[in-house]
Amino acid sequence: MRPLDWVVMFGWLVFLVSYGLWRGRGSSSTQEFMLASKTMPWYAMGLSIMATQASAITFISTTAQAYVDGMRFVQFYFGLPLAMVILSATAVPIFHRAKVYTAYEYLEHRFDAKTRLLVTIIFLISRGLGAGLALSAPAIVLSVVLGWPFRVTILIMGGLVVLYTTLGGIKAVTWADVQQMTVIMLALVMAFAVAISMLPPDVSFRDALKLAGAAGKLNAVTTTFDWNDRYNIWSGLIGGMFLALAYFGTDQSQVQRYLTGKSIGQSRLGLLLNAMAKVPMQFFILFIGAMVFVMFLFVRPPLVFQPVVLEQVQASSQYAAIESRYEQAFDQRQAAARGILASRAGALQDFRAAQQNLDAARAEALKLSDTSDTNYIFLSFVTHYLPVGVVGLVIAVIFTAAMSAISGEINSLATVTVIDIYKRHLAKESTDLHYLRASRLATLFWGIYAMVFASTAKGFGALIEAVNQVGSLFYGGMLGVFVLAFFVKRCTATGAFVGVLAGEAAIFTTARFTEAFLWYNVIGCAVVVAVGWSISAIQARN
Amino acid sequence: MTEPQRTVLDEPPPFLGTWRRVYTVVVIYLACVISIFYWFTQSFAPSLTP
Repeated sequence: MRPLDWVVMFGWLVFLVSYGLWRGRGSSSTQEFMLASKTMPWYAMGLSIMATQASAITFISTTAQAYVDGMRFVQFYFGLPLAMVILSATAVPIFHRAKVYTAYEYLEHRFDAKTRLLVTIIFLISRGLGAGLALSAPAIVLSVVLGWPFRVTILIMGGLVVLYTTLGGIKAVTWADVQQMTVIMLALVMAFAVAISMLPPDVSFRDALKLAGAAGKLNAVTTTFDWNDRYNIWSGLIGGMFLALAYFGTDQSQVQRYLTGKSIGQSRLGLLLNAMAKVPMQFFILFIGAMVFVMFLFVRPPLVFQPVVLEQVQASSQYAAIESRYEQAFDQRQAAARGILASRAGALQDFRAAQQNLDAARAEALKLSDTSDTNYIFLSFVTHYLPVGVVGLVIAVIFTAAMSAISGEINSLATVTVIDIYKRHLAKESTDLHYLRASRLATLFWGIYAMVFASTAKGFGALIEAVNQVGSLFYGGMLGVFVLAFFVKRCTATGAFVGVLAGEAAIFTTARFTEAFLWYNVIGCAVVVAVGWSISAIQARN
Repeated sequence: MTEPQRTVLDEPPPFLGTWRRVYTVVVIYLACVISIFYWFTQSFAPSLTP
């Protein structure tokens, strides 16, 4: 990073935090702090929901996913628009009419206090883990790229988030997200333009598509069903729909966003904006990863993308031999790529053989430090090839994207802690000012918790999968209890309570046999509904 | 502690008249997007005789 990049990066950080504080100023009641007094327009809600999802992990890991594995990850989002439609028709009006602060408050209206408490605890555990992960994962990567100590990176990110979330509440979080989302799109378009502009003059955009396709990177839709294949159209449509239903329908970090809407209609429009924009946006992000791969067919990428590991590898006695094989494989692959463009017979086989040699050389280098560099691919591209100033902007966006995800999470954790635990069980009759102070303290607590958790957590191979896997262990059970609440009129409180426990047991058992985590949500939800319905039927008979 | 807003507004969508029609458009849109992605995948799928 050059001086202009640092100026741009800190300028954006200061602007975003100040803007959030300004928009969130005067949050003087719990309703304003937690629900923005129900004044949010649909576009702010929609963009905020998208920004929370488009965390740093989206930039770092999704692009790398396409680089390594192709674009098939986009199928993960196919069920999301269906979930948005279902939630707009069901959960949005139910939550609005119930006049609740949290989704779990509704469970006591419908069932009883113990079911509400059980689901609240599941949410606090899963989202608490998620908040720590959302902070630690990008901090690991950014600390390497910026050359900062890991804990200092966490302290800066976490400290800024705690500052504007504690003072401004949901209004600060939502309006900061709107700005964030705009700049995210700008940064993505710039990254895409640079990847294309780095292609040799005789390689057109169509040639780039041909090469990406030949390398298997444009595999956006896989129609064959395989239980152990994480991403195909079936797991995406069914499993992805259940995951999105659970995430947007039962996770307070999302429910709270659409509870801030002026009306049911505004909340619905916010969700439907997400339904329309999310899949193309993810496609575009993955496509950038595929184009970066094509660019690196002609511009030699580093042997290892993680700069610190690269230094370790370079210090090794085996480096010269590995680097030589790597260079040779790169030249072979480039020649084969040109052969593919010239429609030379056997060029594709040569390309695959060269790619295998290249991957083998990289694997050998990475084995020396026993690590993965997947999460550094996009950042390596950004820091080496984007123009000065733009590098700072993209790094700043990644920085604040992480902050945006965390702010939404700690805000919702604080809301649930105060509404579903503190006010419900510990201090039932206090003033609004008292609960507002408690909310700010709870925000501070969860912010510090996330920082402490993050600073002790270790990195994950592919961040985005880790986050979704942790979520999938809990979402199925939570979704099941809301399905019972919304659609099974005869379901009893005991049926719902035992159903959730059975659903979670089923998910953890399934997780021992398959890593195809999208199905956990389907299985968990089905078990909760089946057990809840059966127990309620037995109780009714007795 | 204040209760969330008392009046719950449930107005029709700003276009297409009913929410049911809006939802139908979203589902059709999804089907079109997946179809385009499928065509995209097939068009650039690797072939051993380039």
